[in-house]
Amino acid sequence: MDENNTEMDENNSELASDEIQSTPIDNDSKAVNIGSGVRVDGRIEGAETSDVSGTLTGTLKSSNININSKGAFSGDMSGQEITISGNVDGEINSESYLIVNNSANIKGVIEYASLQVSYGARIQGTLRHRGSVQSYTPISDDEIKEDEISENQESDQ
Amino acid sequence: MALFGSSEKKPEVKTDFMFDTDSTINQSTLAKDIKINGSLESTDYIDFSGHLTGTIKSQTINLKPGSYVKGTVTADTITIEGEVDGDIQAKDIYIKSTAKIKGNIRYQNIDIQNGSIINADLFYSS
Repeated sequence: MDENNTEMDENNSELASDEIQSTPIDNDSKAVNIGSGVRVDGRIEGAETSDVSGTLTGTLKSSNININSKGAFSGDMSGQEITISGNVDGEINSESYLIVNNSANIKGVIEYASLQVSYGARIQGTLRHRGSVQSYTPISDDEIKEDEISENQESDQ
Repeated sequence: MALFGSSEKKPEVKTDFMFDTDSTINQSTLAKDIKINGSLESTDYIDFSGHLTGTIKSQTINLKPGSYVKGTVTADTITIEGEVDGDIQAKDIYIKSTAKIKGNIRYQNIDIQNGSIINADLFYSS
C-alpha cells in the first residue's frame, strides 16, 4: 500500500510538473469576451462571437457581436448578427440581423440587411439598407461645362 | 303649451349630440385610389392608403401598406406601413415590416420592425 501510494504520488507530481511546463490548452472557440470595466484598444479580427461589456475602441470583425448594456464601442464593427444594447459611436456593418435594444445609444452610420429597433433606443446618424440602390446625384451638364470653362480660363492665363 | 314642450325637448337632443362629438375622435380614412397634390391636415387621426405629394399633418397618422407619401409627414404618433420619400417628424414612430423610407426621420421614440427598408438620416431629440 505504501509503495503504491508513493508511486501514485510520484506520478501525480510528474503530471503536475508537466502541466506547469506545458502551455495552456489552445482555445479554439474563437470567442472574444471583454468584461465590464475592461478597456481594449485595437483591432479584433476572425472572431466568431464577441461579447463586449467593457469598452472597446478600434475595429471589430466577428460573425456574432453583442454590445451589452454596460458595453461601449467606438470605431468600425462588421459582422453577420449584431445585437446592440449599449453605446456605439462609429460604423456598424451587419450582413444579416441587426438588433437594437431599448437601452442602446448609437451615433454613426448603420449598414444593415435586416434591422429591428426596440422602442426607446436612441439612434443618431444614417441608416443604409444593404441591397438598396443608393441614389447618387449625377453631375449635371452645367457643372461639367463650368469646370471646363474654369479649366480653359486657367490655361489661358 | 305644446310648442313650449317641444322646445324643452330640443335642447336635450342637442346636448346629447354635442356630448357625442366631444367624446369621439375625428377619424379620417383615405382610400387607395386617392391622389393628393398639396397638404392634408387633421387634428386627430388619419388612416392614409393613397398617394400624396406634399405635406400630411395630424395627431395620429397611419400610413397603410401601399400608401406613398413624397414630402413631409408630421404627427405625434406615426405608424408607417407604406412608402415615404421625404421628412418624417414625430414623437413616436412605428416602422412596420412593409415600410420603405427614404429621407430624414426626426423622432423621440422609434420602433422598427425587421423587414423594413430604411435609407435615411435619423435625428434623435429629447
